[in-house]
Amino acid sequence: MNKVQSFSLAVLAVMALSNCSKESSDPVDTAYPVIDISAANAFPKQCSTIKRGDKFTFITQLSDNAELGSLSVDIHHNFDGHSHSTEVKDCVSDPVKTAVKPFLFIQNFSIPPGQKSHQTAIEINVPADVDAGDYHFLIRVTDKEGWQTLKGLSIKLI
Amino acid sequence: MASLCLVPLLTIAQSPEYSIAASGPKGSPENSGPAGDVLKRLNQAAGVPLPVTVTPDTIPVADTVRRHPQRHHHLEEVVVHDNHVELRRKEESLNVEVVNREFILRNLGGSLMKTLERLPGVKTIGIGSGQSKPLIRGLGFNRVVVIDQGVKHEGQQWGADHGLEIDQFAVGEAEVIKGAASFIYGSDAIGGAIEIKPSPIPARNTFGGSVDLMGKSNNNLLGTSLNLYSRKDKWFFDSRFTYQDYSDYRVPANQVFVYDYAVDLHDNYLRNTAGRETNLHFNSGYVNGKFRTVFYLSNAFSKSGFFADAHGLEPRRVDSDLHDSSSRDILLPRQQVNHLKLINRSSYSFQRHRVELELGYQRNYRQEHSQYVNHGYMPSSYPENLGIPADLEREFDKNVFSVNLRDKLSAGRHEFTFGVNSEYQRNEISGWTFLVPSFRQATAGVFVYDKVRLHDKAFLHGALRYDHGQLRMFEYTDWFPSTLSGSSEFLTRAEDLRRSFNSLVWSAGLNYNPGKFELKANIGKSFRMPIAKELSANGVNYHYFSYERGKPTLDAEQSYQADLSLGLKANKWSVAISPFFNYFPNYIYLNPTSTHDYYYGAGNQVFEYDESRVMRYGGELQLNYKLSGALSAGLLGEYLYSRQLSGRKKGYTLPFSPPASALVNLTWSPPSPNLTDTYFSIDYRVTGSQNRIVPPEKKTAGSQVFHIQSGTFLMMGKQALQVSFQVQNVLNSRYLNHTSFYRLINLPEAGRNFVLSVKLPFQINKPINNEP
Repeated sequence: MNKVQSFSLAVLAVMALSNCSKESSDPVDTAYPVIDISAANAFPKQCSTIKRGDKFTFITQLSDNAELGSLSVDIHHNFDGHSHSTEVKDCVSDPVKTAVKPFLFIQNFSIPPGQKSHQTAIEINVPADVDAGDYHFLIRVTDKEGWQTLKGLSIKLI
Repeated sequence: MASLCLVPLLTIAQSPEYSIAASGPKGSPENSGPAGDVLKRLNQAAGVPLPVTVTPDTIPVADTVRRHPQRHHHLEEVVVHDNHVELRRKEESLNVEVVNREFILRNLGGSLMKTLERLPGVKTIGIGSGQSKPLIRGLGFNRVVVIDQGVKHEGQQWGADHGLEIDQFAVGEAEVIKGAASFIYGSDAIGGAIEIKPSPIPARNTFGGSVDLMGKSNNNLLGTSLNLYSRKDKWFFDSRFTYQDYSDYRVPANQVFVYDYAVDLHDNYLRNTAGRETNLHFNSGYVNGKFRTVFYLSNAFSKSGFFADAHGLEPRRVDSDLHDSSSRDILLPRQQVNHLKLINRSSYSFQRHRVELELGYQRNYRQEHSQYVNHGYMPSSYPENLGIPADLEREFDKNVFSVNLRDKLSAGRHEFTFGVNSEYQRNEISGWTFLVPSFRQATAGVFVYDKVRLHDKAFLHGALRYDHGQLRMFEYTDWFPSTLSGSSEFLTRAEDLRRSFNSLVWSAGLNYNPGKFELKANIGKSFRMPIAKELSANGVNYHYFSYERGKPTLDAEQSYQADLSLGLKANKWSVAISPFFNYFPNYIYLNPTSTHDYYYGAGNQVFEYDESRVMRYGGELQLNYKLSGALSAGLLGEYLYSRQLSGRKKGYTLPFSPPASALVNLTWSPPSPNLTDTYFSIDYRVTGSQNRIVPPEKKTAGSQVFHIQSGTFLMMGKQALQVSFQVQNVLNSRYLNHTSFYRLINLPEAGRNFVLSVKLPFQINKPINNEP
């Protein structure tokens, strides 16, 4: 029918219009930074174990399409099994228990300005007298525009 | 029994907003003509003394007509054309959409705002199946005012996880103003306003009510709304009870990914998204010719769960067996809100004046419950002697007192409105997390508005308003010590802070309606006082991995907006286009920065309130075409563009920018001898992709969804039974909604949903009971 045709034509016109107007691409950065733990020497990884009383080096590869912002590391106990692991793989967790002297590590690290890629090599001391068990190793990295990527790893202190 | 519905109908005709045309099987020339004359004749015939003056909103026009579609009268059938909506649109220079109960029943969504989402330019920011907040042309939160019975509805306007505590069954009519309307509603109406009007006051000598029953398949919702009203001569009451109970809702997915963390869904249910809602209303008042006073008492309670496998953006491991054993239980995390309201609305007309007064008291009491999880420097076990329940994450308790006074004065071509609005708020907080301090807020505004009738087809509008507001925030100190370079201390998160704001805004507009063509134009300045959160937030929102910091020096937000509306109507079609342009010299937004804060923010990313210049434009398109007597087609389109012109996010859009979308509708309303107002309607919504985003958003792909609506009136004896049926998301499409709270963790929108609602009005006592 003529009416139907003209109507659908109008519909198409509008859809086309709305399509072309949103094409105006902005030169703004919409890419999230990347945390890459796939390298052989990256540590910790999902389900890594760390010995109490030792120190370990946190090694990971950070990158961004434009410029990295800052890095924050948070290690806290997961004795209640609360989980904010962002990983596909589940680790074998210990039974739920009450914390006595849990290990807590919260630290910010600045990344030198202007970098698109940065490898961390941060030494972290784990005291010998803290509770053993399941912990979370939370990595937060931002880029200069404020995009943040998280990685929540499940680790075990033994 | 004859003139049952005549009395209310007749009286309306005295108002210029209604016209009457009498017609009937035999034709009745003596009963047509100018409304006043017809009225006089009909009134005499019905034995009603003249004059009767009633304001349009006192009369249940649609109701009475609908309720007895088949009734025979002594007099000929009278058809009332309710023009007040049309008139309102023609005499208002702002862009306004008015919806009635019919619309609400046809498009019944999980909440009033979800229902209104069908309107072009209206979107929602929602969580789950029962909670959502309005988003008008991309502006939401505190930039949209909701007016209920004349008084500004004050909820806890903090987060995207909040809903609006309004019972959609108690809404008689809802008016959506798209565009800056501060000059009439004060601060916050910078993006628009939604004015909710109650059902009309019952007709004289009536006693009746209605029973609404509804069911939804997706979230197994069962609900009812019972209404009982009565009016003698001058006194009336109108009461309502609404109850809804729904289970977890279902999405077209077996598994969703929160980040890379896989969450298996049991039978497609989103764990713990069930809820309950109980609403009570009691309105009572006195209506005389020139004086009326009505008390509105209401209490809205809702309790609903948050998706258990993530709290905010934070993946959570849950006891799936516990959650999956019942889809109706509401476990942790969850929210509950109780909103109590007592409003008195009075008006008195004398000479050329009409004085209106509204007095309101509201209490919004909101609690968010969650298992205690120690984040940052919080102790690993919850202390027993803290005095806050271990599952009370946040509590907001707000008490609000409001006064509005207006005088409408007709003077020749001018219709002046002088008004004063004032409000006082007291806000207390509790819970083991901290975001915003307790505060007090007092605001007052005076305005004058002039509507000039140049002639019947042209109006000019001008308004001027002055506001003053004061905010006082109270100190807050952490209940746990934080560690900084070895030493530990209790952090003071918020200092005592006092701010005051003054603002002068204005608006100018015109209407020109020569015949088929319709033109509206409006230009104005609006403002918004910063809210406590924007000035004084200083806490970690662990579920967002963000540390939110207010900026105590923020100015009141200003906005300049120009609106245009062009419409053309012909016999078979109509088209309307309404573009707008909007400029903010200082738009306040939460800016995610590149830094992390170790001290106050426990290592989280710093989100800081900031100001930037913002430009926005867009518009809506409405197209209707009558293909044949019973078949009609429609198109609703909307487009929005926003851009930050300065500041740290220069070049970016604003958060929660809805993508362009179009809704194509085909409606078939077959005439039938046994059924009245039967319709079958199909909606096809195409939503474009949204690639213009700002941290921490994600790009959202486009989507296509089909909805079906259908309904009719069945006669059951002398009562009409209204049946409405809907299928939402007919094809069970899996798609993401850019403005949904759960978008950031990739939760798809609700799957296919069958919605059935039935309304049975009844009248025990009819108007005019053979009274002498």
